Amino acid sequence: MIAGLYLPGDGWIHGLSAPVKLGFMFFTGLTIVVISHVSVMVLLTISVGFIFSVVAGLGFKRLWLSTRPLLIWVLAILLAQLWLVSAEAAVLISLRLVTLVWVATLVTYTTRLSEMSDVLAAMCSVLRPLGVNPERIAFLIALTIRLIPSVFDIVRDVRDVQKARGLERAYIAMFVPALTRLLRESDALSDALTARGFERWGDKR
Amino acid sequence: MISIDHVTVRLQSRVVLDDLALSLTEHRIGVIGDNGSGKSTFAKLLNGLLLPDHGTVTVDGFDTRSDGKKVRSRVGFLFQNPDNQIVMPTVAEDLALGLKPLRLDGDVLRQRISDTLEGFSLSHLADRSAHLLSGGEKQLVALAGVMIAEPDILVCDEPTTLLDRRNAELVMKTIADLPCTVIVVTHHVEHLDSFDRVLVLDKGRISHDGAPDCAIPLYLGPLS
Repeated sequence: MIAGLYLPGDGWIHGLSAPVKLGFMFFTGLTIVVISHVSVMVLLTISVGFIFSVVAGLGFKRLWLSTRPLLIWVLAILLAQLWLVSAEAAVLISLRLVTLVWVATLVTYTTRLSEMSDVLAAMCSVLRPLGVNPERIAFLIALTIRLIPSVFDIVRDVRDVQKARGLERAYIAMFVPALTRLLRESDALSDALTARGFERWGDKR
Repeated sequence: MISIDHVTVRLQSRVVLDDLALSLTEHRIGVIGDNGSGKSTFAKLLNGLLLPDHGTVTVDGFDTRSDGKKVRSRVGFLFQNPDNQIVMPTVAEDLALGLKPLRLDGDVLRQRISDTLEGFSLSHLADRSAHLLSGGEKQLVALAGVMIAEPDILVCDEPTTLLDRRNAELVMKTIADLPCTVIVVTHHVEHLDSFDRVLVLDKGRISHDGAPDCAIPLYLGPLS
């Protein structure tokens, strides 16, 4: 569940500010691209894995869970590189992919969505002279991320109802109630945001 | 004070509220009525989420049509389904969202969140994913998210409909203990015994208006 990815904790990585963590992610991403020796890449991958599981206290199980969905892709890339380029390139690119995902997951697990959106708002503030409200842009992105599981929940509910009625493959019959519910939910969310003062964001006090 | 001056609301061709005229000055007001009687429409009128087709609604002198933002900064709204109201992933983040319009400094913001969580006995849930809480906890989080902005008036639209009896009582007790003016739309008339005034809506009109011991029996009468 994307919206629930942040894991509360009191380690020092949790305590770092979001800009520092995003900066670390950016810097690591750049470093990964520059490294061309397998031994250095292996060292970096092990270091990131250690930071993830031990320093941040997220554990080896979560490290494995964040790697597992990648394995099929890593294997495909590994085989393609082995066939097309060389064993060294295959290992290097596979480790790059795994390390990058670990870093991104580490930042996601240890940073609140609101902190991320604050950074985004600060980055978008250069657009303020053009009439753009950076808080709204950042909130829009945060809200989109938060709503992904809700959309899946609605589709799953509707699919279950259709299954119960014996309409397992009636995709059109599923589409209409799912769309109706999504529109109704978005209306309710819109009312809730209005009631909670969303329209006053960015007002000059 | 909320003043409703000859208000009519139509949804498409159907008259949902018909020429209502009343003032709401009491500290605790309940609104009851059958399905389709116009209760939720009435609630949404009070903070300008819905505007009347005819007539005016004013809150402390501010018209919901022309001063909607000022009205909504005074009138908090608790919805039936907390899942629609809780926007951010964790409890503390969702409470912070309610304070966004105030642009508070970090320390002041954190203190206010902490105080509010403590006030609603939710401190232990601060970093929990709001959408994985129980129904009762979610409704309390939604309530805390509204109350953190310190509204003068709280309007609740069937806040206990989706809850079991124990959680419904917990939520209603919490609402009853709030210091602000509270207007509760509900089907659960047993929660309104201690209220100052109960309005009974029937087909868009006020059919009974009085103390709970008068209005509720008149509403329940035809069924009993």
